[in-house]
Amino acid sequence: MTIKNVIKQFIHTELLYEKENIRLDDTTQLLDTGILDSLGIMTLLPFLEQTFFIRVSEGELIPENFESVNAISLLVEKKTKS
Amino acid sequence: MDFSLNEEQVILKNSIIEFATHELNSDLINRDQQGEFIWENWKKCSDMGLSGLPIPKEYGGAGAELSSALICIEALGYGCKDSGLVHALITQTCCGVQLLLFGSDFQKQEHLFGIASGKKIAAQAFTEPDAGSDVGSMNAKVEKVKDKYILNGSKIFISNGPIADLAIVSAVMEESQRKGYGKISCFLVEKGTKGFFREKPLEKMGLRTLQNGELIFEECEVPEDHLIGKEGQGLFMFHEVIEWERALMSACHLGIMGRILEACIRYAKNRHQFGKPIGKFQSVSNKIAEMKVNIELGRLMLYKAGWLKDQKKRALLETSISKLFISESLKRACLEAIQIHGAYGYMKEFEIERELRDSIASTIYSGTSEIQKNIISGLVGL
Repeated sequence: MTIKNVIKQFIHTELLYEKENIRLDDTTQLLDTGILDSLGIMTLLPFLEQTFFIRVSEGELIPENFESVNAISLLVEKKTKS
Repeated sequence: MDFSLNEEQVILKNSIIEFATHELNSDLINRDQQGEFIWENWKKCSDMGLSGLPIPKEYGGAGAELSSALICIEALGYGCKDSGLVHALITQTCCGVQLLLFGSDFQKQEHLFGIASGKKIAAQAFTEPDAGSDVGSMNAKVEKVKDKYILNGSKIFISNGPIADLAIVSAVMEESQRKGYGKISCFLVEKGTKGFFREKPLEKMGLRTLQNGELIFEECEVPEDHLIGKEGQGLFMFHEVIEWERALMSACHLGIMGRILEACIRYAKNRHQFGKPIGKFQSVSNKIAEMKVNIELGRLMLYKAGWLKDQKKRALLETSISKLFISESLKRACLEAIQIHGAYGYMKEFEIERELRDSIASTIYSGTSEIQKNIISGLVGL
């Protein structure tokens, strides 16, 4: 499974409860739509770090890196390559 | 697995307990009643290095990792009966951590020395009248105008607020296209800035030496370089710093519980009724046994959180569990301590009633117990 699909599946199963009306694609705005709220970010970060063996640094904790599945995938790809 | 403290940590712990016990506890009944911040004790603690524990030595701090800071704060909580003072120091420490993790080099140079030395008092201005745990309801607004930010709004219950030289203020970007999690930014606002008003301290049930109050921002102009981190990074920062805050507050609560446990053991051994020490009655000894169990279990969880942070890992679950378990245990221990001491415990002179009043807040600030349970259940997938 690609990084993008792993992330998408996690968001689908863990964060889309009671948000069934939102259609999730690679560019869906996760922060603006509230898919990634406080608890969502707190759940997603440990998932990313444990699944992909990365550490997201303080400087990378910015909205641009979490605004869509595409953005999160890019961040993970960058981290796994470095 | 090694659960013991090393020699250096033991020496540090003992020196803080000795310092706090001898230097920080005088005239506390009166000072609590007056609700006064004890400046000379703040200075003593700062001189001891307690306001800048995690701040690197290059900025005048002690350069301690979280696990070492927890040992120090537990020792301080044990030795110092002024929980308001310890709370003020932890608030100061967490402001330092936020600047350390997210601040620019300029901001670090400008403020970390003052925070570490205690010469600048710092406050974290997040809570609003209609936005506690529900940060999405935040109303304070900030607008970018040329090379400045203009802040408008108010913050409430802010620890150290009425005496703050420096406030870290969260606000919603007005012109931002962003909504939700990415809409909040953080700014440094210094005392004396036009349009920044610190209101007088609020009267509280406990933690009366800690100064809490409202901060008001009216067309408050903040220079561009006072933005901490990047625009929209406010909640990300909050979640990083809150792990430190919950861990350090829990360490303080553990220290207090240790002191209360010892007071209860002493009293239960010395107080005789029906021809024997009251500690020989199971209804008393069971309460004391439960205190000991909670201290030991709480410490294990808290040290795990400290270890995780030292390893640069996230500890949101562990700090939430620690905060929930230890603060609830503290409140229960204080209630039981009064019960064990009977009428004496109810008297101000015995200083246990103050511990109970102070402990009530521990299950409220830094996320209520109910919010901790929401976080924990969310993190296990519910």
